[in-house]
Order: sequence, then C-alpha cells, then structure tokens
Amino acid sequence: MSEQDKKLPTDEQLAEMDRDQLVRLGGQLDDVELVEYDDPWPVKGTKAEKRAERAVAFWFALSGLAGLAFIVVFIAWPWRYAAANTSDHLLYLLYTPLLGITLGLSILGVGVGVVMYAKRFLPHEVAVQQRHEGRSTEVDRQTFVAHLADAGDKSTIARRSLIKRTALFGAGTFGLAAAVLPLGSMIKNPHAESANENGLWHTGWMAKNGERVFMRRDTGDPHAIELVKPEDLDAGAMETVFPFHAPVTKSGQVDYAALEAILTGKQRVDPEELSEALIRSDNPVMLIRLRPEDGKRVIKAQGQEDFNFGDYYAYTKICSHLGCPTSLFEQRSNRILCPCHQSQFDALHYAKPIFGPATRKLAQLPIQVDAETGYFYATADFNEAVGPAFWERKS
Amino acid sequence: MTSSKKADAAGESKAARNHARSSKRRRRISGLLALGFALIGVGAIYSAVAPEPQTANASQQDPALVRKGEQIYNNTCITCHGANLEGVKDRGPALIGIGEASVYFQTSTGRMPLAAQTAQAERKPPKLSPEEIDALIAFVESKGPGGPKLPDEHGEQLRGDNPARGGELFRMNCASCHNFTGRGGALSSGKFAPELDPATEEQLYAAMVSGPQNMPKFSDRQLSPEEKKDIIAYVKSVTDGNNNPGGAPLGGLGPQSEGLIAFIVGMAALIGVTLWIGAKQ
Repeated sequence: MSEQDKKLPTDEQLAEMDRDQLVRLGGQLDDVELVEYDDPWPVKGTKAEKRAERAVAFWFALSGLAGLAFIVVFIAWPWRYAAANTSDHLLYLLYTPLLGITLGLSILGVGVGVVMYAKRFLPHEVAVQQRHEGRSTEVDRQTFVAHLADAGDKSTIARRSLIKRTALFGAGTFGLAAAVLPLGSMIKNPHAESANENGLWHTGWMAKNGERVFMRRDTGDPHAIELVKPEDLDAGAMETVFPFHAPVTKSGQVDYAALEAILTGKQRVDPEELSEALIRSDNPVMLIRLRPEDGKRVIKAQGQEDFNFGDYYAYTKICSHLGCPTSLFEQRSNRILCPCHQSQFDALHYAKPIFGPATRKLAQLPIQVDAETGYFYATADFNEAVGPAFWERKS
Repeated sequence: MTSSKKADAAGESKAARNHARSSKRRRRISGLLALGFALIGVGAIYSAVAPEPQTANASQQDPALVRKGEQIYNNTCITCHGANLEGVKDRGPALIGIGEASVYFQTSTGRMPLAAQTAQAERKPPKLSPEEIDALIAFVESKGPGGPKLPDEHGEQLRGDNPARGGELFRMNCASCHNFTGRGGALSSGKFAPELDPATEEQLYAAMVSGPQNMPKFSDRQLSPEEKKDIIAYVKSVTDGNNNPGGAPLGGLGPQSEGLIAFIVGMAALIGVTLWIGAKQ
C-alpha cells in the first residue's frame, strides 16, 4: 500500500478532529482497523462497576499491607537459631516461611491487581491490521543504498588511512584486553609446580625439608592440633586424618621440645596453615584399623609391603575415578565405598576397585609410629598421584 | 663295772628315755608347726600370685539375673550364636566380650533377635523388655567381660551443650553414610546406613562405641565422650522433624528433590496464571 492511497487530512481538518477521531486516524495510517472497541461499563456508576473497582483496590491494598508486613518481619522477627527443645523454636521456624509468604503476597497482589484492572476496566478491543507486501518498493531500496554510500563517502574515512589504522588499533586492542581478562585465568602451566607439594603428583603429606609429617585429627576446631596414636582406634575403626608438619631442629631431626610446646599450646602455629591443612582437597587420608581376623587376610600391593603398621592401613580418601570422598567404610565387609558413582574398593586387597567405574586402586600412604612420642606419621608422600586421571598420568 | 655300768645304764636309759620321749614330742609339734606355716605360706603366695579365675567377674553379678539372662539367651539367641556364645558358622558371630553397649543396641532397637538372614538387620519393635535386656547383658558379660560400655547418663543428659561442634564432627565422621541430617543412605550389596530419626540418645551412643554391623567403631580416644554427646545433641536437633524451617522438608535429601518440586509446582502455577491472564472475560 503506498502513500498515495491514504487520504491525509488538511491542517484545518486536523484542527477540527476530536481525540476519538485522531485515534482512529492513527490506526488507519498504520492500516489498523478497530473492529470492536467497547467501553466495558457503558452505564457509569453501577453497583457492578463499584464492585469491580473494590476488587482491584483490594489486591493493591493487600499487596501494600503484605509489603509492610515483610519489612516488619525482616527487621523485628527473632530470626536467630533456637534449638528444638526451647520455647523460641516455633518463632524461629516461622521466620523463613513468613518472609516468603509476605513478600510473595506483595508481588502477587500487584500482579493480580494489574491483570484484573486490565480485564475489568480497559475497553475490549478487537483490531485488524492489513498485511504489507514482502519488500519495499524499488525507489525506496535504491535511494536508501545511495544514502548510505553517500554518508560513507562524505565522511572521507576511506582516504584517511592514519585515522583508520589508529582507530583499528585502539578498538582492536581494547577488544583484546577485554578477552584476555576471562581467558587468561584459564591458562595455567600444569607442570610449573610438579616437583613441589602443590603439583598434581604430590599432596600435603610431602615433607618440604625433611620434617616428619604426623597424622592430625579434625576436632571441629580448625586451629586445634591433636595427633593420632595407634591406641586411639578400636579394631574395626576408621578415622579421617590430615597432615601436620612437625618442627625440625637445625640438624634435621624432629624438634620434640618444640612439638611438645605446640601440642600443649605453649607455642603457636600459623592458624592459616592449620586450617588450610584441613581444607586442601588432596589431604584427607582414611586411617583404618582392621579387625585382627581380617588383618591376617590382607593382600598387599607390590612395592607397598611395608606401608602398613600392623593392622593399620592408610588410604587416600580421594576416589581414583573422579575425586569424590570415598569415606563410606564398612568395617565387617572391609569395603570402601564412593558415594558419587558407587565405586567399591577392597581394604583387604590394597584398596583395589571391585565394583563401579573406578579402575585404579586408592593410593596408600606409608605409615609408621614415632618411637619417641607414639604418634603416627607418614614415612613418605604417596607413591602415586591421588585422585582422578590426568594427561601425564600413564596408568 | 659292768653292774655299775648297768645301773648307770639303767639310770641313764630311764633319763634318756624320758628325754627322748619329750624331745620326740617337741620335734613332732615343731614339725607340725613348720608344716602348718609352710602350708599357710604357700597358700598365701598362691593366692597372691595365681591368676584370677575367669569366673571372678560372674560372681560379682547377681546370680539370679545371670540365670534369667541365660534363660532368655537360650530362648532367643542360642540358634545363631551357639550354646557358649561361640557363634554358629554362616548364622551369627561369637558374642564373647562384645560388651554391654553392643547387646543393648542390638536388642533395644529390635535388630536382634533377627527376623531373617538378610543383608541388613533392620530396626523393628524390640522383642525384649528393658528388664530382659539387662538380664541378657548380665549373662553375656558373665561369659566374657569387657567390651564397650554404656554411658552412666540417660536420655537428655546425653545431649551435649555444643551442637555446633557436634555438627562439625557429624559431617566429618558420620555424614558420609548417614547423610548430613541423618537421613541414612545406601551401602554395598543391599546394605544401608539407617536414618537416625527413631534412635534414642542411648542407642546413638551405644552405636558409636560398639560399631553395629558395618559401622566403624569410634572409641573414646577417637571421639571423646563429650564429643559423642555433642554429636548426639546435633543429631537430635536435626532429626525427627526438628530442623524444618520451611514446613515441607521434602525428604530432607537436598537440592534435587527440592528443585524438582519447585520446577513442577512452579511451572504448573505459571501456566495457570498465563491462562487466566489470556482468558476472555
């Protein structure tokens, strides 16, 4: 439909038109025809209209009150945890639901009010719009292209190569800088730290300068140091232990005086280092004490014959499949289970996988008891990498 | 000379006879005394050095209670655990020296006597009354003393005053099998770690020290009694509907069930609202 088909009103006609006519004219100019445009309340001030008005107002008012209630609950409600047997427990229990109910009701009230207002009071409109032809006319297309080409030509950018190149340089470098930020953090050399304890081949059990690495238990306090002795475990027990690097004397021996001072609380250890030892993902080790009758049936892996101490065996807690904590130890069937993908390892058979997707045994930590203090310590780091496979891992 | 000698001899022999008789009596008495001392001495040394007989502990128990326990044992346990608690192959383990905590846990939770030989001994209403359990404990203790003991406290006294530390320790030592709010979880070959809702404080404590079925044991040096009580306080604060701030825990299994319900219910509600908005008046 071209411009010529539409009858445009003159200025005088336009000045005489009222609002209704202007609305209809606007529609006609866009090829929109209003078929139905009824006022929902043709008779003003009826009881039904009043009722509809009150219904909408009710929802908006409810929304406002619920919003106020949310603010009051958020500020004034006793939100602190109260144990189950105390009288404040019910109030604590109601805190979260009340927040949700009040704020939810507030949002719902606004939404319902708006939708109801639209349904009850806006005119019921049915409009028909003509469909246009597929493409613009040839005149429109050619003039538009000419206009674009003219703008480009008149800007003289095509022959100002200095500006063109510097603009490209500036914008391009900015784009590169924006890309480096997210991409650069993904680039890491996996071999950079492979020789020290932060590499994939080593764990926190690696002695950094010849010190003795004792076994430490987690008491719930990340800064408490409690070392593990053989008599701490009953037969058929499992304990999760973490490395504790003992102080050394100048001659490279264990500094028992300093160790004693640390264990009795007289000497301070870097608290960050202490909590880090409990958090580090490759540190947790399962110290298992087998029942004596099971201890006789153990089959050890080649090269790991002296890794255990009597019936005590220390296996990494990190699953060889995808690195989940395999801490489900069954003390009678002597199976170690991984909860993620149901891999099972046989604690009597060098923790080799007997079920599930894991294909490698759990790494075993060589342990011994310190003659001076009676605490367990690791004689060396694991003899293989713990956890899931990676590129450089051959097995 | 001979006569005098004879007379002398007669006199001497009379005196000698008298003397010999008295010294013989003296010797006999001293011999008896020495023997008596020796016997008393040996007895004293024996009683000091000789090992305590195995039945010494049994005599400290109330014999009537032990007899009652034996009666209960013969009625309910003997088939699988043998006449002398030595165990029966492929049926039940030996019970010598298992300790009172173990007997208490297995019988008070109804796991023993076993209903059937399955992968898991499941909790059911206890068959033995508390008095019968006490008698059974006395009998099992009389056969082999030792083993893990029950705590002196009972009920709410066993709840420690630091459930936050108990929660830390629970997540470190227990949650891998029992789930972080004690919902339980699957183990290998049909076995499972039970949910902790129905367990009493005593049963929780007894399970930790005795390690029933495949549960590892936690000695008092691994987890001190105070730490055990904190764990009990934590378990009691999250199980049995106690940690339910939202009103519908949805199994307490974590984000999966909650997300599924939120998705299904939320989607249905949104579709309903959309239909209402688009509906003609």
